[in-house]
This record gives sequence, structure tokens and C-alpha cells, in this order.
Amino acid sequence: MSTTKHALRISAIAALAFGLSSALPANALEKPAGFGARPLTMIVPFGAGGGSDQLARAMAKAMEEAAGLSFQVVNKPGGGGTAAIPDFMLAPADGYTVLEHIDNAISAYAAGDIRENPASDWIPLCMTQITFSQIYMRADEDRFSDWSSLAEHARANPGEVTMANVGKVGSMELVVTEQLETALGVDFNLIAFDKPAERYAALIGGHVDLLFEQPGDVRNFIDAGQMVPILTFLNDRPSVFADVPTHRDVGADFEPLTRFRGFYVKAGVPDNVAEFLSDACLAGFETTDYQAFNKSKYMHLIDSFRDTEGSKALINEAVATYRAMYEMMGIGQ
Amino acid sequence: MEPFLTGTAMLFTDPTGLMIFVCGLLGGMLFGAIPGVNMLTLGAVLLPFTITMEPAHAVMLFSVIYCSGVFGGAITAILFNIPGAPENAPTCFDGYPMTMKGQAGKAIGAAVCCSALGGVASACLMMGATGAIANWAVRAFGPQEIFALIFFGLAVSASIGASSLWKGWLSVFAGLLIATVGTDPVGGIPRFDEWNLFGLEYRSYYLSAGIHFIPLILGFFAVSEVLVQATNISRGLRERPKAALEFPTFAEFWRVRFTVLRSICVGFFAGILPGIGATLAAFLGYSQAQRWSRNRDGFGKGEIEGVVASETANNAATGAAMIPLLALGLPGGALTAMIMGIFQIHGMEPGPLIFINSGDLVWITFAAMFWANLLIVILGWIQTKTVVHILRVPFRWLAPGILMLAIIGAFALRNLVIDVWVMFIAGVAAYFMRATGYSPAGIVLGLILGKIGESAFSKSMQLMHYDFTGFLGRPISALLLILGMIAIVSSIMRELRGKGRVHAPAD
Repeated sequence: MSTTKHALRISAIAALAFGLSSALPANALEKPAGFGARPLTMIVPFGAGGGSDQLARAMAKAMEEAAGLSFQVVNKPGGGGTAAIPDFMLAPADGYTVLEHIDNAISAYAAGDIRENPASDWIPLCMTQITFSQIYMRADEDRFSDWSSLAEHARANPGEVTMANVGKVGSMELVVTEQLETALGVDFNLIAFDKPAERYAALIGGHVDLLFEQPGDVRNFIDAGQMVPILTFLNDRPSVFADVPTHRDVGADFEPLTRFRGFYVKAGVPDNVAEFLSDACLAGFETTDYQAFNKSKYMHLIDSFRDTEGSKALINEAVATYRAMYEMMGIGQ
Repeated sequence: MEPFLTGTAMLFTDPTGLMIFVCGLLGGMLFGAIPGVNMLTLGAVLLPFTITMEPAHAVMLFSVIYCSGVFGGAITAILFNIPGAPENAPTCFDGYPMTMKGQAGKAIGAAVCCSALGGVASACLMMGATGAIANWAVRAFGPQEIFALIFFGLAVSASIGASSLWKGWLSVFAGLLIATVGTDPVGGIPRFDEWNLFGLEYRSYYLSAGIHFIPLILGFFAVSEVLVQATNISRGLRERPKAALEFPTFAEFWRVRFTVLRSICVGFFAGILPGIGATLAAFLGYSQAQRWSRNRDGFGKGEIEGVVASETANNAATGAAMIPLLALGLPGGALTAMIMGIFQIHGMEPGPLIFINSGDLVWITFAAMFWANLLIVILGWIQTKTVVHILRVPFRWLAPGILMLAIIGAFALRNLVIDVWVMFIAGVAAYFMRATGYSPAGIVLGLILGKIGESAFSKSMQLMHYDFTGFLGRPISALLLILGMIAIVSSIMRELRGKGRVHAPAD
């Protein structure tokens, strides 16, 4: 009896050990000595349930799986994403505090709203979502049916066609729309909606005529046939939206700005820790679950990943573009 | 009826589902009752686990948490003047005075029954007419109508808790003023974030994020109450409130039947509109009850009708909020946004097709919300008989606990220590306001409605090419604005006529 028990116990331990050892190789990344023993904090500068929040939680889970790190996700919404920055800057530069942020931080820096340069005062670990924007109309719209009939309608009624967007001055949304209006000689009446649900309800409810958004955010409305994309801001048509013209197709000749979301630590974090976190981010990005998540948000349509150096290049390029645009539009410093 | 019965049968014959249902019910109530954590905290913690759950279970769990979480915050509001969540704030106005009068049991009993009633009624309405109502509401209510609704809400409730109409309006205007701090809703331009005092430059990220109403509510209600009670103790005036377990009688409920009906309508309506939700529902329900009540002057001093109005309305908003989510795929608040996330994790799209593609899931959810609201009565009855005994604890032991809960609540909002300081400053300010007849409740009302109102107003103006008369060209907004004006004029007339009357102090 006792030998049976003993044997059972040994086999249980063996099974456990085997389970552990088979789980371990997945954590191929080696943590720097003394790092990662306690949970990391991931700050999300927007509210729970939104695009950034979903991304941060998906990435936290993927990095837990891929690098054996554990995360506590903290939402600090407010001020268009700027309210979370002081907390991030006050945290010690030990790599235990990670900030998720979007291109808003870059445009805010370019406009002088924040002092921290995301490319040098922060270390970008990686970008894991880069996406393009589109313009949508209601499915039951009867005054126009595609971009060319809309443009005709808009030229006949300047300033009458309304478009819902996120209206932060100097944001990607406003800059791209301004570029489009200038290039095509149309004039939209832009209405700022700060909450996504209100923005979508305004289009579906008929209170505005158009919506400026990224396809991943309104995927369910596109799939349900309630919203119809009529213009894509990308140089080439992505396969999923092969019927939708790009801004270049309709005669607007500019390099389209993208929406990008990534992860940062403060400058001053030890090199080996920053490198490890950056590798962990790549490993997390490559997990099956994360890939499925990104695909559900249409992030597979363009190359959505940048490592530290790639992110820095993307940020510096964006800062220069935004500054040039601001000079033309007469906003910012 | 048949799909509802099928849904109920599926809910109660599936042991896993039943267990999730009960856990959601208890968890929501618990998290709702503790200030600082709320149903959103619970939702955020549970969200990753829903990936491996069956979609029907996951959606059901969140909708049950929603129902019981909205109720949970009423208990601390009534016993200690700490609203567990913002939607319970108006419950404080009369619930806490009732506790002081030794009617804690009655107040909690009324809150329990009315939460259940509001929730059940809203669940029934939701089951009856989801698609049609949602379509109508989204089309009929644009920014102009929402602004008019906010204006109306402010106009009818300006004198909440103040000793005179003028002090009431001053309090509301102070709230509106505080609401302008922070990033503006149109261009995202930060306001009040840079100062230049005596050559010293000062820059505050905190102010560009705006002053949040949760630290203010905690300061105004909980902290100032501790200060008031401390003063009373030092003057030897304080009597410990009696821990009465008495439940409200049927006659008392019958007396407020119209208030219940009105709050169900108001709450349901506010819940349907994206971005409005349970908090506004509770405030509007309360102010409507005060407007139409026969003993209007009793409000704010322990009138059971006040508790009934706010608790019916906030729970009535829960079922309603599911309508735009399911029928149109539009989440109105943070918790419904999480439910939306669950749908997407499982590859489903809320929208007109959901009733056809995932009928089972929808009806299990509806059945679960219906039964969750009904079960609130039983759980609430048990709570009434037990938690009221906390009042037997001497206040000198209770006070640190209340302050501790308030501090946690203020900090947990954004993990900012400065929010705790704002809470204490608000507490001290409210102590003096209450002594002089100004109304902390009015400030909270102004702050909450001011934020939504400003955003709706600026959108309306952009849509109408900055032409004010556009408001009157739309029937619903014109009607609400005119009713609001009438309410203001008539309250001023009443105040002028009753000038000689001696006012009771607000506290």
C-alpha cells in the first residue's frame, strides 16, 4: 500500500518536474540578474475597455507567457493621455514601470504640450500596433454612395458635411484631415467627440455624416454592415479593403500619418534591463494569442512591429512631420 | 416570454453557470459597497479570465456584476454618507439623514426594494423592445437634445440641499466652474494648467486632467461628515443613531408609487443614451422626485422618497444600458465597454444580428439580469438585518475607518496622492458650506452635469454653425429647454413670494 503511495508520489513529482521543465523552455529569455522578481506596473494613459487598455492587457499577458514577467495594469486616464505622464516620470528608473502610449504623446511633444521627448527622455521598448485610418459613412446614407459622390456633394455644400473625430488640436486625426482638405479643395465641418461610443452613435444615429476612425476600432460596425469605409489613408489598398480607394487614388498626394501604440520605460533604466524588456516585447508579439489579437484588430494588414531603434526612427520621423504640419497650420510652438 | 423561460431554465440547470451567477451577484455587491474599489475594478480583474469561459457565461457574469454593483454602493451611502460609487451619491442626500434619525433599516430596506424594482422593470422593458427603442433613442437624441436634457436636469434640481434658492444656484455654479478645469472637450486644449505667479512659473499636469468628481464626493460627504460629527461630540451634542432594523411597510411604498414609476422612466431613458448612464439617472431621478413631491421641503432631511427615487433610477439604468450595447454595439459606459470586449474576444459582434446569431446567449443574459435584480431583495434583506449593527460601534472607532475608506477611494481612482489632498480640502470646504447653508450636493451636481453638458454644448454649437436658435428648431431640445426655463422662473417666483418664511438649516 505504502509503496504504491510512494510510487504515486514519485510519479506525481516527476510529472510535475516534467511539466515545469517543459514549460521552462518557453521562457527562452534570460532575465537580467535580480530583475523581474516582483510584478511590473504597466501604466495605461486611457480608460479601461478602450483600444490602449485592450492592447496593454493583451501584451501584458503575452509577455507573462513569453518572458515569465508578471504585470499589474493601471489605468490613469485624463488630459488626452497626458495625465499619466507625471506618474511615469516620478517612478524610479529601474524598469519596473512600463508606459503604454500612442502617437498622441509624439504629437503632444511636437506641439509643446509635454516636455518629454518620447524618443530620448523615454526608451521605446517596441511598437506593436501600427494602423491606418479610414473615413466611414452610414450604410443607409442616401445623398452619396462613395468617395467621388461625397466629394461632389461636399464641394457643392462647403462646410455642410459633418465629420466626427477626436478633436485634440494637432492630433493625427486633425492633421490628416487638414492635408486631405487642402489637397482636394473640400471643406468638412469637424465635430470633436471625446468618447468613442458617442462618436459611433453620432454616425449611426444620423447626427453627423462621416466618421474618421481606424478599422480595428469599428470592426463590428463594418462587419454588421452599419458603417461603410469610403476612403483609406494608405499608399496602397490593403487586401481586405480592396474596393475602397486610397487618398492617393482620389488625388491627394501626401505621406499618410499612422496611429501607433507602443511601450516605453524611462531613460536611465539599465541597458541590460531595457534590452531584456525590448526582447520580451518581441517575444510577446510573436505569441499565437497576441498575433490572433492583432489580427482581430486588422493590425496584420501593414507591418505593425518596431523594435527600440525602429520605434525611435518612427518617432523622430513623426515629430518632424507633425512640426512641419503645425508650421503650415499655425499651431503649437 | 418563451425565450425568457428557456433562458431561465438554461441558467438554473447549468451548475457552472449557476455558480458564476451567484459569485457575480455577491462579488458585484461587495465591490460596489467598498468605496475605492467598484464593479469596474472587479471587471478589470476578471476580464482576462473570461477568455477561457464560455461566451454566454462571461457576458452573463458581467451583466450580473453590473446589476448588483450599482446597488452595493447604497449601503455605505446610507450608513456612513460614503457613496460606494458615484451613482449612489444622491442616495446620501436622504439616506444618511434617515440613519441619523434612527431609520437606517428603513432607508436600506427602501434602497434594496427599489433597486430591485427598478432593475426588474428595466430588465422587462429591455426584453420587450430592445432593437426598436435603441434605434429610436440613438436617432432622436443628438448632442443638442443631450445638452437640453442636462439644462433641464440642472434647472429642476438647483436647490438640492441648500438653505435658499440663491445659495443653491451659487453652489451649482461653483460646480460648473470646477467642471471647466481640465482639457476642453473640443480641441483638447488644457485649461488652468499653467500659472505665472510673481515670476514663478508653475505647470500642472494634474489640472490639465481636470478635477475628478470622486475625490470631491468623498470629501464633501464622508470627510465633512466626520468633521461635523467630531464637532458635535466635542460639544456633547451627538447621539448615537439607533441601529433600527425596521423594514419599510407596504403602505410607505404605496405612498411613493409615482416616484418609483417616474424614476423607472427617467432611469431607463438615461441608461439608453450612450455616455449618460446610471450616475445622471440617479441625479435626475432624485431631482424629479423633489420637484413633484408633496413634501418637497422634507428632501435632504431624511425623506424616504429621496432614497427611493435615486436607487430606483440608477438600477433602472442598468437594463437600459444593455440595449444600445446589444442592439447597436454601442457601449455607454466603462462596464458595458468591457462586455463589448468579451464579445469581441469570442469573435462575436454585438449589433442587430446578435439576437439571431446568438439568441441563447442574449436570453441567458436577460434572464440572469432579471433574477439578479430579484435576488437583490433577499441579499439586501439579510444585509439590512446585519450591517446595520455596525452603527453600534462608537463613532471614535468608526471615524478612522470611514476616513481610511475615503482615502483608499480617492487614491484608487487614478493612484494619485493629490486626489487624496483634493478630497481633504473638499471635506473642510464642505464643513463650512454646510454651516452656512450652501450645498455640497449642488456642487457635485454642477460638476458631473457640467462636464457632460459642456461637451454636448460644444458639439451642438459646431453642428449648428454657432447659431443658438438651432436648439429651438429641434422639437425635443426645444421642449426640454422651455420646461427648464419654466422651472427656473417658477422657482424664483416661489422664492420671492416665500421671502418672509424662515428656512430650516440645510443640514
